[in-house]
Amino acid sequence: MVLKWWLSASALLSSMTIVVVLGFLLQSSWPLIQQQGAAFIVGTEWYPFESLYGMLPALIGTLWSVTLALLIALPCGVAAAILCAELLPQRVRSTVRFAMELMAGVPSVVYGLLGIWLLLPLLESQLNLLTGRTLLAAGLLLALMILPTIMVLSEDAIRAVRQSQREAVKCLGIGWDATLWRVLLPQAWPGIRVAALLATGRAMGETVAVMLVVGSIDRIPEPFYNFLQPAQTLTSRIGREMAEASVASLHWAALLFCGLMLAMIAAAISLLTHRKAAAV
Amino acid sequence: MNAQRLLYRDTISKSIVWLLAVPALLIPAIVLCYIFWQAAPVLDWGFIVGTADGAGFGITDGIFAQLLGSLLLAVMACVIAAPFALGTALFYRTYASPRQQRLLTAMFNMLQGIPPIVFGLCGLVVLVNLFAWGISLISGAVVLALVVLPLLVLNTLATLERIPLDYTEAGMALGLGSGTIIWRLWLPRSWLNLLTGLLLAMARALSETAPIMFTATVFSGVVWPDSLFSPVTTLQTHIFYLAQEGNDPQVISIAWGSAAVLVLLVASLGLLARLLHKLGEH
Repeated sequence: MVLKWWLSASALLSSMTIVVVLGFLLQSSWPLIQQQGAAFIVGTEWYPFESLYGMLPALIGTLWSVTLALLIALPCGVAAAILCAELLPQRVRSTVRFAMELMAGVPSVVYGLLGIWLLLPLLESQLNLLTGRTLLAAGLLLALMILPTIMVLSEDAIRAVRQSQREAVKCLGIGWDATLWRVLLPQAWPGIRVAALLATGRAMGETVAVMLVVGSIDRIPEPFYNFLQPAQTLTSRIGREMAEASVASLHWAALLFCGLMLAMIAAAISLLTHRKAAAV
Repeated sequence: MNAQRLLYRDTISKSIVWLLAVPALLIPAIVLCYIFWQAAPVLDWGFIVGTADGAGFGITDGIFAQLLGSLLLAVMACVIAAPFALGTALFYRTYASPRQQRLLTAMFNMLQGIPPIVFGLCGLVVLVNLFAWGISLISGAVVLALVVLPLLVLNTLATLERIPLDYTEAGMALGLGSGTIIWRLWLPRSWLNLLTGLLLAMARALSETAPIMFTATVFSGVVWPDSLFSPVTTLQTHIFYLAQEGNDPQVISIAWGSAAVLVLLVASLGLLARLLHKLGEH
């Protein structure tokens, strides 16, 4: 009886957390919505002292940094996975894989330190920039952070392709090239897609590393594809300003709304991931 | 002619893969070496066990207080999350209907995808302000417990799923109740793997910075917190603050040293988990 009570209570409580979290975020950011309607979501100006809380700059910053990270990390990560699963000998493979699993666990604040003291000076000297704190820096750093995840998950997907299929292609005598493009990648694609979606979620929610290198300036890049400018992401804005906002002010509500948006985008991504995963 | 063309295309594909993959494998390795190379000048035993008292603001020497704070938060987070995780996973295996099972899986997959900083925000609103616990050890521990909860639940579920069905069926055929099946069959068989999950969760809790930034930590001045309701200093936030101190190279080298210690700590937990997992397989 006690057992049943414990099990049901813990299941109920832990599955309620998500509802509670979303509920409190909504409740605390409600004053802003009440006062300004929903128009501020697409507003382009964020000046807390003048009660302007446009979300668009940070949304675009988040979108850009995640896109850059994926553009860099996805091809490299999948290539590394192919190399590991198909071309390297067994012993090298398990070493590389173990190293990658360890890399996936490196704390994000360590990447932030690397970003400030290794990546920024490099960018400044190589690209002749006034400041290295740009969307590109954030994208590169995020790429480095999600690379191990993409590689490990893609390698699992590629190795799950049946050996008989590889042998069948060999029998046809049409070369490794065809194995790669016609068999391995199409078959492993659902797994790779899940890896990419998970990495997207991770990159979007990454806070400390991004806020140290992104520049934290609330401005939409000018023109919009110029990723050599400082910008702001949803997470870096929360990280930078949360300590300054006074409790229950509009600014506070606006920052909590940023958090709510992050949570909702993340929930959408995870629904997408697992619906795809279930359909496979 | 045809064979030669095939060979040609093979070579091109292979070189593309190598070209993309080599940086992906080398750069992380270089980065890791760079951390330890930068940390080498300050890394010694005195650095780890030294406590910097208030006057030096953590800049002078020693990261013992930070190390202690990080470990304390991580252990407390796991202690808080573990009973709920185990209970939830057991509920899933024993009482839950198929519909509840689907719902639970969806919930925890979603919870796992939520960025840690969101939990930090929620902790700030609910624990720090609404419950008036203040910036404290307990607020941080509860927030971190939320962060590791989905990881623990999914890990425990995977462990329980690996127990052969025969065992459970044999137990049921003997007329054992679910309590006996859990205590006498499932837990003795899988406790090593459950411990592995706990270690991984601890590694995860140790590597999070964003959720504890507003809920649990101050920059310096604490070695051992007086009570559950006093703030702590942690390695993660220490690195974060020192990284932004631009002028003094000595400060930065302490940040590198702390980073190396943190990486080593997380990596050794990962290694230990791997060893235990291998033990559990046999």
